[in-house]
Amino acid sequence: MSTFAMGCSRAYRCIARAFPHQYRAICGDGLEQLGEDVVPRVWQQHGVAGLIRLFADLAWRLPCEYLFTWIGRLKEATMTDDRFEGTWRARQSEASQWKVDQPAPQQAFLRFEPTDTGYLMVAYGVVNGEACTERPQVIIADGRRRPLLDLSGRPIPGVPTGAMTFGSKPDPQTLELGEEVDGQVLGAGRYKVSADGKTLTVTNKGTGLKGPFEVVMVLERVVR
Amino acid sequence: MPKPKPDAFLPLKSNWLHILVCLVEGEQHGYGIMQDVLERSSGKVRLWPATLYGSLKRLIEKGLIAESGERPAPELDDARRRYYKLTPLGRQVLDLESQRLKDLVRVLDARRRQEARS
Repeated sequence: MSTFAMGCSRAYRCIARAFPHQYRAICGDGLEQLGEDVVPRVWQQHGVAGLIRLFADLAWRLPCEYLFTWIGRLKEATMTDDRFEGTWRARQSEASQWKVDQPAPQQAFLRFEPTDTGYLMVAYGVVNGEACTERPQVIIADGRRRPLLDLSGRPIPGVPTGAMTFGSKPDPQTLELGEEVDGQVLGAGRYKVSADGKTLTVTNKGTGLKGPFEVVMVLERVVR
Repeated sequence: MPKPKPDAFLPLKSNWLHILVCLVEGEQHGYGIMQDVLERSSGKVRLWPATLYGSLKRLIEKGLIAESGERPAPELDDARRRYYKLTPLGRQVLDLESQRLKDLVRVLDARRRQEARS
């Protein structure tokens, strides 16, 4: 490869790395690698004109992707009348169900913290007399599918490769979340705040690592 | 979350159609999709990398394709690559789009025959 083509590959890689985090979370470093593979071929086959076209494609997509990201954030920011923010504590209720191959918690809490794009949901409580916390979950309720990753953007142990998470907010009082692999739903959750804003009913169904589960919990607001 | 109806995606965007057609035969990585589209269109359609990955991202978000966890044999594989495959929804959408295009061609043929007779 000529020095010029190598320089172009490097420049392409640098620009590709400037794409928004949400884009890179889904496409990974595929764009950088593809650019790297393509630059020498385009240079050989189409010369300078081909490289101009290649970089023009990149230069055009970069602001577009940022625009899409900002539009998504703006939609979330303009969500009015947030009913979820705060901490909720599970209470005894006839509506509650616990069909899971695990002991029911003696105490359970859910905390919704607003973020730039939605919420961070943290579940914690007491099981078998010991405090425990579940993996925090990022909720972006815009209907889009995103890879199911941890907060650092890394795969979660035990979660199948290619697992996607998605969420929607059909109305200001309801959040619907789900996880799927290959179009097959692993689990689906519905979080509904009562009309008076005092209780939250959580319904979770699906198939986990330890088999099928179905949970219905009624929680009451403890901290706004 | 209610699943989107397959016909809500019709007519498919040209880039999306090309990508979905590439994935009918099986999993494919970004470079493979790019080459496949180029060859199948006799060099007329080239999906440049950023456009290709922008489309892949949107197709994933809409649930029409998904990243595949299966990989070819190590000697045939490049560990850097991500593979993509059609989801059941993607396959349904592609079937509907294929039917739509067939219907369109049928109408066009019928009109041409009518024109030739008159």
